[in-house]
Amino acid sequence: MGRSATTKDAQALFHSLRTAYAATPNNLKIIDLYIVFAVVTAVIQVVYMAIVGSFPFNSFLSGVLSCVGTAVLAVSLRIQVNKENKEFKDLPPERAFADFVLCNLVLHLVIMNFLG
Amino acid sequence: MLRKLLWILLISFPLFAILCASFSEENPTDRRVLVLLDDFAIKSSHSLYFKSLESRGFDLDFKLADDPKLALQRYGQYLYDAAILFCPTVERFGGSIDVASFLDFVDSGHDLIIAADASGSELIREIAVECGVDFDEDPAAFVIDHTSYAVSETEGDHTLIASDDFIQSEVVLGSKKIEAPVLFKGIGHSINPANNLVLKVLSASPAAYSANPNSKLSTPPSLTGSAISLVSVVQARNNARVLISGSLSMFSNWFFRSGVQKAGSTTKYEKCGNEQFLTELSKWVFHERGHLKAVNVRHHKVGEVDEPSIYRIKDDLDYSVEVYEWSGTSWEPYVADDLQVQFYMMSPYVLKTLSTDQKGRYYTSFKVPDVYGVFQFKVEYQRLGYTSLSLSKQIPVRPFRHNEYERFIPAAYPYYGASFSMMAGFFIFTMVYLYTK
Repeated sequence: MGRSATTKDAQALFHSLRTAYAATPNNLKIIDLYIVFAVVTAVIQVVYMAIVGSFPFNSFLSGVLSCVGTAVLAVSLRIQVNKENKEFKDLPPERAFADFVLCNLVLHLVIMNFLG
Repeated sequence: MLRKLLWILLISFPLFAILCASFSEENPTDRRVLVLLDDFAIKSSHSLYFKSLESRGFDLDFKLADDPKLALQRYGQYLYDAAILFCPTVERFGGSIDVASFLDFVDSGHDLIIAADASGSELIREIAVECGVDFDEDPAAFVIDHTSYAVSETEGDHTLIASDDFIQSEVVLGSKKIEAPVLFKGIGHSINPANNLVLKVLSASPAAYSANPNSKLSTPPSLTGSAISLVSVVQARNNARVLISGSLSMFSNWFFRSGVQKAGSTTKYEKCGNEQFLTELSKWVFHERGHLKAVNVRHHKVGEVDEPSIYRIKDDLDYSVEVYEWSGTSWEPYVADDLQVQFYMMSPYVLKTLSTDQKGRYYTSFKVPDVYGVFQFKVEYQRLGYTSLSLSKQIPVRPFRHNEYERFIPAAYPYYGASFSMMAGFFIFTMVYLYTK
């Protein structure tokens, strides 16, 4: 009796999450996909380092930091562009995107220097 | 008149130059030897030994030990290159010489041969003590050996002993083996075994002891057995060599010419080994054998010729040195397989045995270690009977420059790939984000 109730509740939960997520606008979904790509790449690099060892440690840091930095900048773009967010109501989304692009340029400059 | 004087002066300058070429770094054999005697009878009774020295080119200057005109140096320059002290009973040296002046003589690199004897004086004893050799305190003591004495017609008190316990060294005693034992009659001495500058060249047999043959032994003798040394040599750290013998009579013509038969053995030798032993030993003491010099220390990077002023870590470098041995008349190449070089900074980071081309050149190559600092190329070579070599050349080692590190390391390709994929991803994302409705 209890078991079927919890699975029914879990299924109901998943279903509601999925319908809610389907309602998000397309541009936010694109940003989410980009974030997932960055995090997966970071995880792959950490697993590789755990296997092989951290010999060129600066290269490892540079690779992981590029993924993490990219994810962070994408998250901040999503926060600023989301129309449901009251805090950034007056911020034009073009301004947010321009900040995102400039920060990414700086990030990649630093990464290339540190890559060794 | 003035012109003649000037001309004579001009001619005499090269003569002065020739006189100065007597003892120098390039020609290490001693030339002028001072011989101090108790009385001139020793000059004739030991003439065979002196003749053998003179035939090898030494200038012997015979003087009485208490001659008031004795002087070792004049105006700061030493008058002699070596000294032989055949004056065991001298109480006080003549002139301005004393124990301290002989010790300074040795300290400045000159050689010494000292012969003490039973009833020897305190003076000779003092000089020997400063060189690391302790004679028996009882001045009337002889070395007595009831199993290795020399057989003779008269009964004797076994103070004339025959010993063949030589040091095993071809450098010190020559390559030809000394067949007959050596006759000895005199006082014994001991050396401190912890002192590695003093060597026992001729030791007494294990049954020997040092005592006065004319008086009854009341206490056990202090010097016994093989610890008694009959003849010792000292090679000081500045490579001066000192020969100390407990018997003056072993140098005499009588001993040189006599045969010997050791008690307990049936072989009777026509001629005892004294002459060969002492002649070979004098060759060693006067630097005709076993004197090394190391020249031409060179180091450079593999493939280059000039000596750099600084190395980088993980460089490959070559090191070479030339070692020669003085043969009495010329420098011959020294051949050995145990010469080592250290790359040293507080402790040796690299220790390599040098290979030789048999013509005196020793070389090796190695990689500079992964540590930076100021290193030294050190060669420390001390072998029995040879002069010690102590070479040291300083060289700094620097770490990698900013552009000398490894690039495109294969192990880091995933990280390179990830960074570039992030850049590509960013570019594609902006395209997609801007151009979707």
